[in-house]
This record gives sequence, C-alpha cells and structure tokens, in this order.
Amino acid sequence: MDQLDKLKKEWQSREQELPKVSYNSIYKMLLKKSSSIVKWIFIISVIELLFWISLYFVIPEDNIEVMNEMGIGDIMFYSNIVHFIIFGIFIFFFYKNYQSIQVTDNTKVLMQNILNTRKTVRYFVYYNLGMFVLVSIAIDSYFYSRSQQLYEIMDFANKGIPEEGFATTFIISQIIVGVLVIGLLIVFYWFVYGILLKRLNRNYKELKKMDD
Amino acid sequence: MNKELEHSFVKQLEENQNIVHKICRLYTNDQDSHNDLFQEVTIQLWRAFPKFRGDSKFSTWMYRVALNTAITLYRKSKRQINIQDFESISFKIKTEEYDDTIEQQLKLMYEAIKKLNDIDKALVFLYLEDKSYREISKTLGITEVNARVKINRAKEKLRKILNP
Repeated sequence: MDQLDKLKKEWQSREQELPKVSYNSIYKMLLKKSSSIVKWIFIISVIELLFWISLYFVIPEDNIEVMNEMGIGDIMFYSNIVHFIIFGIFIFFFYKNYQSIQVTDNTKVLMQNILNTRKTVRYFVYYNLGMFVLVSIAIDSYFYSRSQQLYEIMDFANKGIPEEGFATTFIISQIIVGVLVIGLLIVFYWFVYGILLKRLNRNYKELKKMDD
Repeated sequence: MNKELEHSFVKQLEENQNIVHKICRLYTNDQDSHNDLFQEVTIQLWRAFPKFRGDSKFSTWMYRVALNTAITLYRKSKRQINIQDFESISFKIKTEEYDDTIEQQLKLMYEAIKKLNDIDKALVFLYLEDKSYREISKTLGITEVNARVKINRAKEKLRKILNP
C-alpha cells in the first residue's frame, strides 16, 4: 500500500480527536444570524439600486423649472418614464438571480449564480453611468448652444456673474463635477469587487480553468 | 411540526458533525475562526434542510453544503462565539496511542493541504474522505475526468512534500 493511502486510513480513523458540539449548543446555533457573503451582496446591491433610483427623486424643483423654460421639460419627463420601466426590468432580473442562489447546488453553479446576481447590478450601474454621461453631454451641448437664454433664465446677471466667459465656465464646471462623480464610483467598485468578491472570483476562475 | 424538524436536524448534525469539523480545520487557522465557520455551516445547513428530501444520505448532502459554505459563502465576522459550546476543542493528538512517524507525516500532510488553493483543498479533502470521482465531480460541478486529473496532481504534490 502506498504511503498516501496509509495516511488516508489514518485520516479517517482519527475522528475521536475532533471537537464535539452538544445537541443543545447546535440547537442554539439555529437562532444565530448568518454572516455569509450572499447576505452582504444582497445588502450592497439593494443599496446601489435604491441609490440610483433615489437620484431621480432628489432633482431640485429649480432644475425642473429651468428644463421647462429651456424647452426640454417634456423630453425629460418621458425619458424618465422609460428609465423607470428599465429600472423595473433590472430589479426583476436581480430578484430572479438572487432567488436562484442555493447552497445545495454544486460549487460551480453556486458561484455562477452569485456572480450573475452581481453582474445584473453591475450592468444596472453601467446603464446609469452611460445614461448620466450621454444625457449630460446632450443637455450641456444644448445649453451651451443657447447659453445666452440660460444666462437670462438663471438670472446670473443679478447674482453678479458676468456674461462674458459664462458658457466656458459652465462647461468646465460640468465636466469637473462629472469626472468627480465617476471617480467616486470607481473607488466604490474597487472596494466592492476588490474586497468582497476577490476570493469568490479567484475560486470561480480556478473551477472554470479545470473545465476549459 | 417545526419542533420535529428541528429535532431531526440537530440530531443528524450532532451525529455527523465530524465532517464539518474536518472542513473547518482545513479552511481556518485558529480556534475562533473554526468555531465561527462551524456556526455558519450549521446555519446554512438548517436553512437548506426543509428542501432535503432524503434522496441521498444526510452526510452526503452535508459535504456539499459545508464545502460550499467554506469555499464560497464564508466571510470572517467579528460576532461572538461562545467557546463553551465546544466541549472538546483541543486538537492535541494522543501521542502514546500512535506511531510517531505516522503522527509526524499526518501533521505534515495537514500543513501541505492547507497550502493548496481552496478548490484543490476541497478535491484532496473529498479524496481523503474516500469519495468516488463521480461524487467529487458532482459536488464541485466539474467533469469526472478533470476531477481525476486534478486529484492525481494534488496527490503528487502531497507525496513530494511527505518524501522530500
């Protein structure tokens, strides 16, 4: 018999050295809360979904007025309806994927389902970021081409902001805000994916590599 | 009904707890983490228990849930574990009953397995538990051929460590 097989026998016969947890202690454990990665992924995902949805409700009243006066109020209203329909579709897929996570599946399927849930949320964020960039470019270009009208509507003359150079300052400040928002999001995702999913991604790649 | 279910679950887990302890020992490095992982596996097993239909043995079903928890779901937490819940936590080996050489080799083997990555660790663990290649491949979700190839490689690594 080879040495490893001998050790295999020893491995199996040494069960008496393992700790023993009593019936009552196991019973008490059933009431404890899980700290599994799935719970954290669910919490973080729901926060992300709520964050992006809530952004659409915190637009100041003044901004809506400015949009109306600039003549794009209706377009913004209908595009928001389309957004919310798309949000609904994302939430449906997120919920469906989350429901499919079963600890009784084989390891590969379990990992795949967890990563799919995250993927839905990631696409949701990409969608929002993409829309944020596209809508910003569209609105800023439109406002830039009608900067004089915007200057009058915003009543900048009474706020002591000179008209000369206003359009350029407006565009630069919009770009700075946009870059800052995207920078903050990159840091957030580096944190979520770098720390929470590092081990899961590594193990999933290892399992996939075996079957490739 | 719920009480009956709880009783049946706790009794079966109590009888088969060695499987969970062995996995905890391989995937953690200290006593607190061992206890923490044991508790997490218990919670996951209990949550999945209503769907356990008894098509397979309780112990077979346990391997899958416990390994999935250790490899995929477990995250170290700072929650408090009552150490007294573990009646015999000592891992000391009763040296007088065993051959010193085997003792040393077993210790070396444990150390060697702990150095493997999470997936290889699971493969070697299932091999040491005398599971068939079919069962191993079904637990991890890889093909039987790949399970065989990977286990042979891991065995070779272990052999080299044991016979430098």
